[in-house]
Amino acid sequence: MIELAPLWLTLQLALSTTLILFVVAIPLATWFSGRKTLLKVIIESVVTLPLVLPPTVIGFYLLMAFSPNNAFGRWLERWTDMRLVFSFGGLLIASVVYSLPFMVHPIRSGLSSLPPSLKEASYSLGKTKWQTLLKVLLPNIKPSLLTGLVLTFAHTIGEFGVVLMIGGNIPGKTRTASIAIYDEVQALHYGQANVYAVILLVISFAILLILYAFNGKTRQVKFY
Amino acid sequence: MTRLLGIFLIGLLSCQPPRQEQLTLAVAANMQYTIQSLIRAFNKTDSTKIAVISGASGNLTQQILNGAPFDIFISAEKVYPRELARQGLTLTPPQVYARGQLVLWSARPGIEPGKDLQVLLGDNVQRIAIANPATAPYGHAAVSLLKKYALYDQVKPKLVTGESITQASQFIATQHADIGFTAKAVVMAAEMKGKGKWVELDVNDYPAIEQAAALLTYARHNEAAARKFYHFLYSEEAKAIYKQSGYLVP
Repeated sequence: MIELAPLWLTLQLALSTTLILFVVAIPLATWFSGRKTLLKVIIESVVTLPLVLPPTVIGFYLLMAFSPNNAFGRWLERWTDMRLVFSFGGLLIASVVYSLPFMVHPIRSGLSSLPPSLKEASYSLGKTKWQTLLKVLLPNIKPSLLTGLVLTFAHTIGEFGVVLMIGGNIPGKTRTASIAIYDEVQALHYGQANVYAVILLVISFAILLILYAFNGKTRQVKFY
Repeated sequence: MTRLLGIFLIGLLSCQPPRQEQLTLAVAANMQYTIQSLIRAFNKTDSTKIAVISGASGNLTQQILNGAPFDIFISAEKVYPRELARQGLTLTPPQVYARGQLVLWSARPGIEPGKDLQVLLGDNVQRIAIANPATAPYGHAAVSLLKKYALYDQVKPKLVTGESITQASQFIATQHADIGFTAKAVVMAAEMKGKGKWVELDVNDYPAIEQAAALLTYARHNEAAARKFYHFLYSEEAKAIYKQSGYLVP
């Protein structure tokens, strides 16, 4: 039989990452959907980087950044009294960086596809920017929000490279399901690896099934 | 468009490496520095090109079982090559070439590795790196040692596991781990000179790390060259290199 801890940990990581990114991504996406400026283009490219970079690049820089060998790492250790490498906190930071574009892009393209008249009508009826966003714009891009949530959640479940590099394989803290599968395969325990793999496969399929079932009618959802 | 595709295809085909005599070795991570000295010595009299793939012995075994194109497997212990022999994937029965030694190593200033391992219980030691005991023999030896000293249950929450001895060593060298267990061959390597302090542990306190190698069936395509290097692994010249690099020689 397999241990359930890696699966719970993976769910915890995916849920926390999704919640944090949802809060972070809405203001970012709103800002990106406005008029183009040079600064915006630069920041948007930075946000998209994790989509094209290998996870090992992120893992490597996080390892370097958090190392007690350099000033930043020492400062972090002294002032936060916490070591980010080999901890759940470190994995969470890595996942948030790694999955950022998966949340920002769908929301951004949803907002851009709304007709400007919607926003203008709301403003002329005396609503503030904040009220307009919460009560008018976001309710109109529900499929995009769902896409962002689902893709982020699913992408975090599939995270492997970064976790392998900065996790340290600690049961209950950093040993996620993808790492557990790798370990079982390397130890020639194909049976156990298969149980984990099937569970992940079923969860991922169910998630995508829900996404397409709910977003089936509206064809407007685009990733970019 | 077709012309572009044609150019692309020609480019792709011309990237094929020219066929030449070459050996590919699957080498246990703890041997990654020593193997370079061995190859240099071998190449003094024989110009065969030798490529090295290194990883935890368990990982390499798994790759060989799945058909990886390796000529010789230089493992960190006997069980894995024996398993390959049992499955008919070797041309020779696995043979021990050297015995590995476990060391306790720290790169953090202020932490003194001691033979009695009491340092592991201190408050200034929060993270102890070991190699994965399920796939890396040095990780397995470290766990046995901790159990023998009745420290395992106490230090278990502090353990961080590297994928191979290389990753465990990297955790120690970069100070992400305060201290850790690794192979003597790693701390003796030129790349690691002067990085922190280490102490050799009593070889009677953990199961012997008898490092064995085997000639794999894939070597048939180039058997003469593969056999020559395989025999070289057991020569007096190679034994001198093992000793120098931090191994015990039978």
